[in-house]
Amino acid sequence: MGISYNGVRSELFGLAFRTGLLTVVTLGIYRFWQKTRIRKYIWSSVNAGGDTFEYTGTGLEKLLGFLVAVVFLAVYLGIIQIALFYFGLNIMVDPEEASQAQIIGQVAAIYISFFAVLPFLLFAVYRARRYKMARTRFRGIRCGMEKGAWGYVLRALGYMALQVVTLGVLTPLQTFRLEKYQADRSFYGSQRMVQTGKWTDLYRYMKHIFIGLGLLVLAAVSAVMELYVLAGVAGAVGYVWVIVGAVHYGVQSFGYLMRHKTLGEVGFTAEPATGQVIKTYILGGLLLGVLASVIFGMVGAVVAAFAPMLVEGELPIAFFALLGVAYIVALVMIQALSLVLITQPILAHYISTIRVTNPQALNRIAQREAETGVDAEGFADALDIGGAI
Amino acid sequence: MQEAGAHFYDGLTAGRHEVRVALSGDRQALQITGETLPEPLRWPLQDLRALTDTSDSGRLTLTRLAETEDESPRDPARLVVLDPALIAWLRRTRPALFRTDLRKGTFRTVAKYAGGAVGAAALMLFVILPALANTMAAIIPVEREVAFGKTVTAQMERFLGGSRLGSLRCDNPAGEAALDAMLRRLTAGREMTYEVELQVFDHPMINAFAAPGGQVVIIRGLLDAAEGPDQVAGVLAHEIAHVESRDATRHALRAAGSAGILTMLIGDFTGAAAVAVMGEQVLSSAYSRKAEAAADVFALEMLAEARVSAEGFAAFFDHIDDLERVEIPEYLASHPVTAERAAAARDFAAGQEATRPVLNAAEWQALQRICD
Repeated sequence: MGISYNGVRSELFGLAFRTGLLTVVTLGIYRFWQKTRIRKYIWSSVNAGGDTFEYTGTGLEKLLGFLVAVVFLAVYLGIIQIALFYFGLNIMVDPEEASQAQIIGQVAAIYISFFAVLPFLLFAVYRARRYKMARTRFRGIRCGMEKGAWGYVLRALGYMALQVVTLGVLTPLQTFRLEKYQADRSFYGSQRMVQTGKWTDLYRYMKHIFIGLGLLVLAAVSAVMELYVLAGVAGAVGYVWVIVGAVHYGVQSFGYLMRHKTLGEVGFTAEPATGQVIKTYILGGLLLGVLASVIFGMVGAVVAAFAPMLVEGELPIAFFALLGVAYIVALVMIQALSLVLITQPILAHYISTIRVTNPQALNRIAQREAETGVDAEGFADALDIGGAI
Repeated sequence: MQEAGAHFYDGLTAGRHEVRVALSGDRQALQITGETLPEPLRWPLQDLRALTDTSDSGRLTLTRLAETEDESPRDPARLVVLDPALIAWLRRTRPALFRTDLRKGTFRTVAKYAGGAVGAAALMLFVILPALANTMAAIIPVEREVAFGKTVTAQMERFLGGSRLGSLRCDNPAGEAALDAMLRRLTAGREMTYEVELQVFDHPMINAFAAPGGQVVIIRGLLDAAEGPDQVAGVLAHEIAHVESRDATRHALRAAGSAGILTMLIGDFTGAAAVAVMGEQVLSSAYSRKAEAAADVFALEMLAEARVSAEGFAAFFDHIDDLERVEIPEYLASHPVTAERAAAARDFAAGQEATRPVLNAAEWQALQRICD
C-alpha cells in the first residue's frame, strides 16, 4: 500500500500566511491555533491507501499546556538563571589583568544556563512527539505513545556525554537507541510498534561524513607541509562533503529506521533519496532568497521614495507605523514561503517513498483509550522547539 | 438529496465499512447502512460535524457532536464522503458543519490557567527575582563586583567604538585633577563602601553611567552640554548614589533572571523580538523608577553636605529638556527627565545656604578640555 502526499502549495501558503498575520495581531497568542491548523492541513494531505490521516489536537489545549509549562519554567528558569549569573559573577576577573582564557571562562560561566535548560529541552522533545502521536488518527483509530519522557532525558544526556568523550564516533548508536526508545513506546491503536535492526548498520550511511573528514585532515596535513593550493581545495571540498554527508546520514538513517519498524504483521519500506532532499534545500532556498529580496526590495523602495521627506523630518509617525507593519507582513510572508518551498516538499518526499507491506493486517487493529494530557506539548512551546510544524 | 456511497470507520477497529448514506424518512438524520454493519446507523443532522482545514476538497470527513473523553466533544467514528453531490448538499444545508464546540466551563478553565500563569510570572518578575537580586547584590564580595564593573565598562567602551581597553579614556592631567577635585569635594567625610573610579570617555553622547563596584563613567558629550561645574556635580552625585546603593549590580542580576522568563512568555513568533525588548524596557523602568528617585534624594543630600548648590542639578534637567529630544535619546532612556525631578532639586536648592561652586573657573575649563 503506497502513501502519497497531496498538499497544495498555494493552499498551505494561504493558511500559513493568514494564521501568521492573526498571530502577529494577537501578540503571539494565536500561534497555538496557527500550528494546530497547519498540522491539520498537513496530516490531512497524507493519503495511505485512500484514507487520510487526521490531526485532532486543538489550539486551546496547546494554550493551556503552555500556561502550565510557564508556571513551572518561570520559577525554574528565573531562579536557575539568576543563580548561575551570580556564580558567574563570583568567578569574575579584572579585565585589565585577566588573560584571554579567563575572560572566555567567565563568559562561558554566564552562558552555561543553557545546560540548565537542556534536560527540559529533551523532556519537551519526547512530550511533543507523544502529544503529536496522541492526536493523530488514521481510519478513526488513535495513535499513541507511552509515558517515558524522563527515561528519554536520561538516555539522551548519557548518549550526549558519550558523544563528547568519543568525538562523535558512536553517532549511529545514539541515533538508533534513542529512536528505538521512542518507537518501541509508540502504538497504532492496540498494536505496539517495534523498532528492529542493528545500530551498527547505520555506519554505512556515515561513509560520506568520513570521506569529508578525511579531506579535511588532508587539508590540515598539506597546510602543515606548506602545500597551500592542495590545502585550500581539499579544505573547501571536504567542508561541503561533510555537510552533504550529514544530510545523507540524516535522510538514509531515517529510511533505515522506517524500514525496520513493524506494527505487528504490518511492515514498511522507505527509500528516501538524499539527492532529492538536497535539491529541495538548494532550489527552495534559492527561490526563497529571490522572493525574500523581492519582498524586502519593495519595502525598501517605498522607504527610498520617501527618503527626501525623511531627511527634512516631514513624515508623520503614521508612516513609520505603516513601515513597521509592512516589515512584519513581509516576515510572515517569508515564513509561510519557507514552509511551502522547503518544509512541505521535503516532507512530501519522505512520505511518498514509504510503502506499507501487508496492510490487510491493519484491519484487525482495535481502538485505544483517549488520552487527555494536561500539558499537551506546553514545554516544547514554552522552550520554542519543534520548528515549523 | 440522493443516496450515496461512503466509507465508514466505526471508531472501534481500523477496518473499513463500505456503506450507503441516505436521508432518513423524517428528514432529520443521515441513515447509514452497510452489509458489514450489525445494524443501520442514524446520525442526526444537527449533530453532524466535519474535519476542518483539510487539504482534499473532494473529501469530507464527517463525525458527530458527542460528549466523550476526547480532546474535542466528538464521536470517534468517521464517515468519509467522496460523493461530490452529497458534499455539496452538506455544505449547503448544514451551517454548523465546521463549528468548533467548546465544553461547558472552558472559559473558566482558560481564565484560571491564564491567571495562574500570569500570577506566577508576575510573582517571579516583581517579587522573587528583585528580592533575590537584592540579597545577592548584598552578599557578593566587593572585589568581584569591581571586576564585574570593569568588564561592563570595558564592554561599554567597545560599544562606543573604542578599539582597545582604555583607548577612549580622556587623560588630560589638568582635567583629571579637576575631576578628582570634584569627586573629593562630593565624597569628603563620607563613609563609602566603594572606592569610586571615575573616568571620562571621548564620545559625543550626552550620558553618564554607574557600573557595578564603583565604576562611574561620564561621557564627553555631557561635559560639552553642561553649562557649569555644578551641573556636572549634580549628575556625578546621582551616579555615586547608584554606586553606593549597588543599583547596577542588582539590575544586572534581576535582568539575568527575567530575560529567560520574558522570552519564554512571548515565544518566537514574527515581531516577538520587538515585543521582548519593549517588555524588558517596561520592566526595568518600573523597577528602576524607585531606584532613580532614591538616587536623587541621596544625590541632593550629598550636594548639601558638600555645600554645592543643587540649583545646577535642577538647571541641568531644564537644559536637557530644552535640547532637541531626539538628539539625546540615550540619557532620556535611562534617566527620565521629569518636571518633578527638576522641581524637587530646585525646592531643595532654595533651602540651601552658603554654597560655593564645586570647581573654580580654571578647573572647570580644564575639565571641559579633559579629552583634548
